[in-house]
Amino acid sequence: MNLLELKNKNYQEVSELLDVKDREMLAERFVSLGLPSKKSEEYRYFDVEKLLEKEYKTLNYVPKTPKVSEKIEIVDGVVVAAPQGMRVYKEACQMIDMNHFDPLYYVGHMLCPQTIKIELDGDVEVEIEHKYTQSDTLINYRIVLYNQANRHATVYENFIAEELENTLVLYGYDMHIAQDSTLRVVKMQSMQEKPYAMVASHKVNVAKNANVILKSFDLGGGQALQLIKVDLDTHAHVDAGHLLYLNEKAKRGTVSQIVHIGEHSTSKQEAKNILDGDARGIFDALIRVEHSAKYTKAEQNSKAILLHEKAYMAAKPQLEIYIDELEASHGATTGQLDGKQLFYLQSRGISYIEARKMLVIAFANTLIEQVKDSRHQERIKAAFEEVFYKNT
Amino acid sequence: MSSIMKIENLRAKIGDKEILKGLNLELEPGKVHAIMGPNGAGKSTLSKALVGHYDIELTGGDIIYKGKSIKDMEAEERALEGIFLSFQHPVEIPGVNNAYFLRTALNAKLKHEGKDELNAAEFLRAMKGHLEALGMKSDMISRSLNEGFSGGEKKRNEILQMLILEPEVIILDEIDSGLDIDALRAVSEGINKMKDGKRSFLVITHYSRILDYIEPDYIHVLKDGRIIKTAGPELVAELEEHGYDSIEEE
Repeated sequence: MNLLELKNKNYQEVSELLDVKDREMLAERFVSLGLPSKKSEEYRYFDVEKLLEKEYKTLNYVPKTPKVSEKIEIVDGVVVAAPQGMRVYKEACQMIDMNHFDPLYYVGHMLCPQTIKIELDGDVEVEIEHKYTQSDTLINYRIVLYNQANRHATVYENFIAEELENTLVLYGYDMHIAQDSTLRVVKMQSMQEKPYAMVASHKVNVAKNANVILKSFDLGGGQALQLIKVDLDTHAHVDAGHLLYLNEKAKRGTVSQIVHIGEHSTSKQEAKNILDGDARGIFDALIRVEHSAKYTKAEQNSKAILLHEKAYMAAKPQLEIYIDELEASHGATTGQLDGKQLFYLQSRGISYIEARKMLVIAFANTLIEQVKDSRHQERIKAAFEEVFYKNT
Repeated sequence: MSSIMKIENLRAKIGDKEILKGLNLELEPGKVHAIMGPNGAGKSTLSKALVGHYDIELTGGDIIYKGKSIKDMEAEERALEGIFLSFQHPVEIPGVNNAYFLRTALNAKLKHEGKDELNAAEFLRAMKGHLEALGMKSDMISRSLNEGFSGGEKKRNEILQMLILEPEVIILDEIDSGLDIDALRAVSEGINKMKDGKRSFLVITHYSRILDYIEPDYIHVLKDGRIIKTAGPELVAELEEHGYDSIEEE
């Protein structure tokens, strides 16, 4: 399959190509957005065209009866294991957002008539392990995560790639956080240059009085972009934190839209970016406050440390506000390690190299330590330090 | 008595501005030297020059420490050799755990001296007495380095580092600034505890208050980048009464 074939087609042609005549509205919305290119605002820093122009093998997503495991294991887009008693099954997605900004969100849905549905109907903690084994392949799957009312769930995501190359993964969540519930999603993705590239396109609906906490820890090389749209109802809250530690020729980051729809909704978004080598970090984040969202509180911040002269940070925090009754702030800084802090450590006999490491790790730790579970916090710290020390 | 540190005709600038203009000073082992002087005289520049701060460019003269020049040494080498600066404004470093920082610094020194490094348990045992002596809560070492510390807590943390690292030349830059009486007493006791007849102290201060607690052996008046007078502790009273303008260069 070559996704470039979708370029400049009308919606009937797209429907026919992807065999989605029964869901033409998705094709219509996709066509109105257009296939991403370097001219697309949200993909401007990502070199998406190089990924789309390749010829990929496709897979048959044959559902299997999952074996019982402590975690949900998804191999090449198919659930192969799940915890006992957890409701994980295939179903057509009932909650596709027809106002998502990402065209590949619609491509993902068109390619996935059946999504993986995970129901979180208790106060649970679950690990989802994504594993990829196929080279030169387009791996495409979507997950519906449904957190029931008055429940408080946590999802830890991890990614593993076997020896493969030139694979493109298109995946994403449609999350529904029901009234008075809380969902925490902690994603840890340590990548290398070769095996696979990823576009993860998410939609998050946060109902009245519900909270969602999204923490992503993106480490290493490779090419990956997460595109997130969050809709906030009355008194809903999102706390998003993104840590990037990139090296080599990585191009990774976050493109997001947080939309305040309900009154008294609140959002906090914080990005910490550490870029080494020729890496490029992306933080293109919009907070939109609709007319209906009086008394919104919104806070957005990006900080980047460049460890190499060729490293580059594309930070674009934006506010789009249609009301007066709100509190909102945003900002972005890009720089190098703080000379005063470096000197302080050196003045106590700590070498320049060690002091530099301590400061970089400290910068990352301010986000990592927001992960409450100590086991997962340690796991992320260890992964970060492994990638960081390997590179230094 | 031979000096532990000899500063010879030292010239230094920050940016294009020359601050130290041929400064001479000898620090004797076991003695407390107080540097006093008006604002802008070069007191903080001197302390930074001695520890190799990146802001300072040495343009002339030399700093001889234990018989060898250190003017081309990096800051960390000077620290490992036993030169310690207690900062006037210690920086906050969010995310760096205070205990981890202290142990890393101590182990760097132990390694430099060819001694065994301490593991976390050994280190905490070694710390306990110092914390109590300084009136520091034990949770202060589990917090991020200086983050959210009050002025007094930051200064106590500086003295804690001094006690742990056991340096040979101790430079105290405005150690009394921002301290209330109780904190001043605790900090002074920590400093006095370090007096062993071998270590030298260079106490940089605006005011005589700290000198009531740390008894100086010498008072040096620094003005316009040079030491213009050296005398015994009796000079403090004269300065208090007549100010720096009354001091004539010797």
